[in-house]
Parts: sequence; structure tokens; C-alpha cells
Amino acid sequence: MITFATLCVLGLLWGGVYLLMAEGLNLIYGVMKVVNLAHGDFIVLGGLLAFSLFERGGLTPIAAFPIAAGLLFLIGMAVQLGVLEQITAQGPEGELRTLLATFGLSYVVANASFLLWGSQFQSIPFLQGAVQAGPIAVPEGLLVCSLLAFGVALLVHVWLTRTITGKSVHATAQSALGAASCGLNIRRIRTLAFALGSAMAGGAGALVISLIPFQTSTGGDLTVQAFTLIALGGLGNYPGAWLAAELLGLTEVFTQYYLGSNAASAVVYVVFIGVLIFRPQGLLGRVGRV
Amino acid sequence: MRDRIIEWSGFALVLTIGIAIAAFGSGYQAQTLFTAALFILLATGWNVISGFTGYVSFGQVSFFGVGAYVGALAMIHLDAPWYGAAAVAALGGIVLALPLGWVMLRLQGIFFALGMFGLARILQIVASSLDITGGAMGTTVAVADSVNECALVMVLAAGAALVGTYALMRTRLGLRLMALRDDAVAAQAAGVDTAAVRVTAFCISAGLGAVGGALYVWNVGYLDPNSAFNGTIELQTVLMVLAGGIGTVWGPLVGGVLISLLSTALWARFPMEQQIVLGALTMGIAVAMPGGIMAALGRIGIVRRQPICAPDVAAPAEAAPAAEAAARGGGPILSCRSLGVAFGGVVAVKGVSIEARPAEMLAVIGPNGAGKSTLFNLISGFTRATQGDVVFAGETLAALHPHLLARSGIARTFQTSRLFRSLCVWETVLLAAASVGRSRAAAMAETRRILAEIGLWEQWADLPDTLPPGRQRLLEIARALALRPRVLLLDEAMAGMSAQEIERVHAALRGAMRRGCSIVAIEHVLPAIAPLAARVHVLDFGQTIAEGVPHQVMNDPVVIEAYMGVDDQEPVHGAA
Repeated sequence: MITFATLCVLGLLWGGVYLLMAEGLNLIYGVMKVVNLAHGDFIVLGGLLAFSLFERGGLTPIAAFPIAAGLLFLIGMAVQLGVLEQITAQGPEGELRTLLATFGLSYVVANASFLLWGSQFQSIPFLQGAVQAGPIAVPEGLLVCSLLAFGVALLVHVWLTRTITGKSVHATAQSALGAASCGLNIRRIRTLAFALGSAMAGGAGALVISLIPFQTSTGGDLTVQAFTLIALGGLGNYPGAWLAAELLGLTEVFTQYYLGSNAASAVVYVVFIGVLIFRPQGLLGRVGRV
Repeated sequence: MRDRIIEWSGFALVLTIGIAIAAFGSGYQAQTLFTAALFILLATGWNVISGFTGYVSFGQVSFFGVGAYVGALAMIHLDAPWYGAAAVAALGGIVLALPLGWVMLRLQGIFFALGMFGLARILQIVASSLDITGGAMGTTVAVADSVNECALVMVLAAGAALVGTYALMRTRLGLRLMALRDDAVAAQAAGVDTAAVRVTAFCISAGLGAVGGALYVWNVGYLDPNSAFNGTIELQTVLMVLAGGIGTVWGPLVGGVLISLLSTALWARFPMEQQIVLGALTMGIAVAMPGGIMAALGRIGIVRRQPICAPDVAAPAEAAPAAEAAARGGGPILSCRSLGVAFGGVVAVKGVSIEARPAEMLAVIGPNGAGKSTLFNLISGFTRATQGDVVFAGETLAALHPHLLARSGIARTFQTSRLFRSLCVWETVLLAAASVGRSRAAAMAETRRILAEIGLWEQWADLPDTLPPGRQRLLEIARALALRPRVLLLDEAMAGMSAQEIERVHAALRGAMRRGCSIVAIEHVLPAIAPLAARVHVLDFGQTIAEGVPHQVMNDPVVIEAYMGVDDQEPVHGAA
């Protein structure tokens, strides 16, 4: 019973971490209807940056979080203004070209990271102790990361639904044309969304590298994982992504405990295939029609 | 003709240089050539599914990897020579692609692209954990006798793939691939079995990728999961097609030669930065020159795509064959019995019963939102009815795919024209004419006859974008008529046409009716269709409100009310 409860708590906490890694992708998809294939590489870049800050300057991942997020914000802004905004085609052709551009971007980011940090796995030893809550022991690092993740997710949610800027982003997500005819500067909003989504990837990386070791080639897997989550939740659907993240966290923790770590690392791909075959519209999504 | 000379002399030149290097070059040169030719082969395969068919994949390397493993196993366990291994690998790729295509190709855009991306990673994990593949440590096979032999084989394989694609894109299958890419719904309406076409393209693409993998193993003699499912292969493949021209026959060759030279030079000087440059180049091309080099050449009038099965323009246009004796009267060819459908809480069509008789036109009119187009979607199979049924030629239609309905004689047009942007007038009509089981020659003759009849023959080589809106509508009607329909559903076909064009359409429709075709025409306003219509059916809010002969319906107070309203309490805002 205690094992079961512990696994549930761990699963929910890991769900928070996964949510943090996927939320930026969701924000970008929501506004621009585009999957940033470099998302995972942004996470790795943020993580490795935090690693260097820890090694050279002794900064903890929590202190590195705003720095990594800030840097990735700038990178995201540059990518959006310099590359993605330059694609003027509309409709499927525009989406396709944007996707191809981010495909190229993922190689640029991953190999730039490789030049700077090499191909070793890196991690930050941080908060290695455990918190005892009654009979359940929870790793401190996981708890902190997960709480931060929920905090960030909540902040973004409040920002999107309660502030004028957030509502403008929301409006652009639903209809760019409608938003533009209401006088919103949708170019600025898209840039803001992409930069913010990238910042969330970078920040997530800075925290998560203390839980999971990264190497420069991890990016692709993280992109697939983040995409699986937001697809499972229904692309662009925030509560859906949260639900999906918790489900994935629980499934992984239980699989890890009962079937071992090899099986656990395959879980995300099994979910991925399942989503593609059975529910491309996501758990909370609706079926589109011709 | 000039274009064809440029194409083939360029191809022959590159092929000759390739064979010469393979035969007489040093080991290093031959190895570089081998790699370049391998990528051209992979790029050609990727181009078939992603360029011509429009399903962009980021996991073509999956088939390369599977082909490499199948080829390696064939060499180890069956003692197969290289050609045997390549053949088995191709088969392996196709066997994998068949079920995979069935699942994956139902996915749209991003899902397919990322599904394939994920597939490569899944296969890499599988290859790492199986014993038969040698696990993560990899496996070794007997290497080829000489690099030059490898290079020669690879050059010939890539050349054969290119010639094969060229031939493919001159067949009716090639026509269907492009129609599917441009507009899947319109392709179904033209009788194209889109699922079969997609899976066929996917299998061709997979087979080419797998052959590349098998020959790669033969060349290097060693295989592990990292090299079999290497993301760099994916990047170079995609980049080559983009640079050369996505969706063109020669794009993979042009891009392949250029990018191979570039990446070899980069590898020699800046091995660490090579992939950054290639990635940045991919971004740059996606942003700045999406059509690649071939599109740039096309813009200045060199090496444009030639129409498929082009007609012999010199031959005189034949007169329309004598109309077959039409069976007038008799029972209805198509009847809908209390047909209805609801979307969520909105009832779009409710209890509508119509009958279409051979050689006669039924007009369906009604105000905006009356459910006219939805009724057509129900009849032509694009939307499933939630109540009632459709009886066509004495048989009840149940859940048939749109393309089967189109082939069996229910043709339709769309309210806003849906034409194929890369198919010319001739190809658009030929596509439909060829999908009802005619021979190539018969389909071409039929296409010619219809274009002459409807007055589009002069513009046979024009792309739809260059036609005025009225002509675009004519083309859509021509496409529907090419299916030799027994029931033709026209959805506001006469909207936006000049008086002269309307006259042409009327003539073509009279001709079709003389051959016994039944026509159901939706119009927003009756006069455009009244001269031809025998009967009129009026819908409002998804239900039948009147039916009868035209002049009687037009004077029916219920119909006038539906269009004009009778309630004087509402202020009148200009147009009704």
C-alpha cells in the first residue's frame, strides 16, 4: 500500500516535470499551429547551459533557471523574427515550410551544443536528499522541480486567461485573421509566443538536467516526448496536456517499478504510437470533419 | 522537345561522369561517389512520398535502416550476394510499409511527419535490444570486393531510380499522386482511390530507401543501430530534395550532386561544423527558395514539367460521337429517402426525399444555409447520413467511399471550385476519365471530346490558376463529365459565369442529358437553371418546403416567404 502511494506521488511529480518540458511546445503550437522540431534541442541547450553555470560559477539549477530561460527567450525571438516570420506562405504550404525550417534548426542547435559541450552525458548533482512525508519518501530535487513546473504552468495559464497580452495571444491562437482585424499586432504576438515557448524549454532544461542526465543527442527524444504529451492532450489544449503529463508520469513510474527501466524508456513511444493510431485528436480533442 | 533534350543530356552527362569515376577513380573518389549516389537514391525515394504525394516525412531513414538490417541478415544467414540482399531488403521495406502506410497515412501533416520521426527512434531502440541484429554492438558482414564495384552498382541503382521516377510521373499513377497532393477531397470526387495511391507511393518510397540501406551495408561491412538510423542521413536526404526542387523528377539529382559536393568539402575542412551548415542551409532554403533550383529554372522557362499523356495537338479535334440512345422515362436513377444528418445539435438536413430521373434535370434551390451542399455531401459519400438512405440504380448505398461512388456514376462539383493547382486542364480531365477503367487511349480520346464540347480545348495546357473563374467552373464540370456519370451533382456551377459561358455549360449539360445522364443542380437563384430544369425542389432549414415544375414553384407563396420573409416586424437591411 505504501509502495503504491509512493509510486503515485512520484508519478504525479514526474508528470509535473514532463508538463514543464512540453508546455512551451504547446504554447507555440497553440498560437502558430506549428511544431517546433528544435524544442528538445532547446531543452538540452538550456540544461547544458545550467551545467556550465554550475561547474564554473557554482550556480544552482534554480538560479540558472531564469538565465537559461532568458537566453532561450532571446534565441527564440531571433529565430521567429529572422526565420519563421520570413515564411509568407499561408495554409498547408506555410506550415510545411515552417516545419522544414525547424527541422533544419534542430540540427543547427544540436550540433552547436555538441561543439560547445561535446557528446558526454552531463548532469548536476543538486538536492540529492529526500523529504519524508509520513511514510512516503520523495527526492528533494524532484519535488522542487515539480513544484516549480506547476508554478510556471499556473503562471502561464493565468497570464493567458487573465491579462490583456495573454488574451491577445489566445485570440491569435483561435483566429489570426480575426485578431489582426481587431487591431492586434499578430507579428509581435507570434514572436512573443515563440520566444516564451523557447524560454520555457530552456528553463525546463535547466531544472531537469538535475534529474535526468542530458547529452546533445537527447534533443530528438525530448521533442518526441513533448509532442506525444501535447498530442495526447489535444494539440494546443492546456488542461489536456496537464492530464496527459500526469498519465505519462504515472505510467512511467509504475512501469519502471514493475518492469524495469528498459520498459520504462519505451513507454513514451508506446503511448506515441497509441495516440497516432487511436486518438490523433487527443484525449480531450474533437474529431475534425471535411 | 527542347526541355526533354536538356533533361536527358544533363542526366546522361552526370551518369557518364559517375560511371567513369566508379570505373577508373581512386578508392577515395569511388567511396565519395558511392555516398553521393546513395544519397541521390534515398532522396529520390523521399521525393516520391514527400514531394509528389505531399506527405512530408522526417523518418525516411527508417526504411534505410530496415533495409540495411534485412540486407545484412540476408548476407549472413542466406549467403546472399549483394543483388540478392538488395532484393530481399526492398521486399522487407515494402512489407513494413504496407501496414505502416495504412496507419500512418491516415494522419495529416504534422502527425505524419512526426510519426515517421518517432518511428526511426522506435526502430533504433528495437534494433538495439534484439539479439538477431547484434544489439547495440552491431553486426559485421562480408564487405564488397572493391569500392569501385560498390560505386558502380550504386550509381546504376540511383540512375535506375531516377529513370523509374521519370517513367512513373508520365503514367496515370503519377497523375493521381499529384492530384492527391493538391487536393485529396477533389481527387476522391474524381474517382481516385486516395488510400491505395498513398500506400503505393509509400511502398515505392520505402523500397528505394531499403535498397539504399542494403547496398550501404555491403559497402561498409558493418552495421549498428546508430549508423542505421542516423539522423544525419535524414537531414542530407531532405536537404538534397529541397535544394534541387521538391516534387520534381530531377530535383533529387540536381540537389544531390550539389549537396554532396558541399558536404564532402565541409567534411574535409570543417567536420565539426558540417551539420550546422547543412541545417542552416535547410532553414534558408525552406524560407527563401522553397521550390529549389528546378523551380528557379522553371520560372525562366527551362525544364518545366510536361503534361502527362499529352495529346497530339496536330490531329484534328474529333466531333462528339453520336449520343447513345437514352432511356427516357422509367424509374428514378437516384432517390433519397427521408435523408437527414445532424452535426452536434445542429440539424443540417432533415427528412429530405428527392428523386432524380434519367435524362432530366432536377433543380435544388433554397436560401443560404438551407442544407443544399450538405445534401450533396450525403449523396456523394463525403458525409455519413444519420437517417434515411440513398438508392442508386436500384441499390441502396451504404457507407461507400466517395471515390467508389464517383466511379460507379455519381459525379459532383464543389461550391467553391476545387481544382488541382499543379495539373493542367488536360490532366485534370484525364485524371477523371482514366479512373473509370478506360484504357489509356480511350481515356485520352474521351478527354479530348469533352474539352472540345465544353470549349476548353484551346487551353488544354493551361494551369487552373491562369484561367478566369468562369473557366475554372467549366473545367470542374468537364472533370465531372469525364467520369461518364449517370447522376451529375452540380453545386452552384453557374455562379460567376458570363452569359457565353453559361450557354456553353447549358449545351454540355443538354448533351449529357441526351446520353441519359440525370442532373441534380443546386442553385442559389432559379433563373440560371430554369430553362433546363424539369422539376424544382426547394429546401429551407434542412427541410423540403416545396417541389414541382419551375413556374409553379416560383409562384409558391411558401417559397417566396423563404427567400423574402413575410415578417414585417424586422427592419429590412438592404439585400435579402
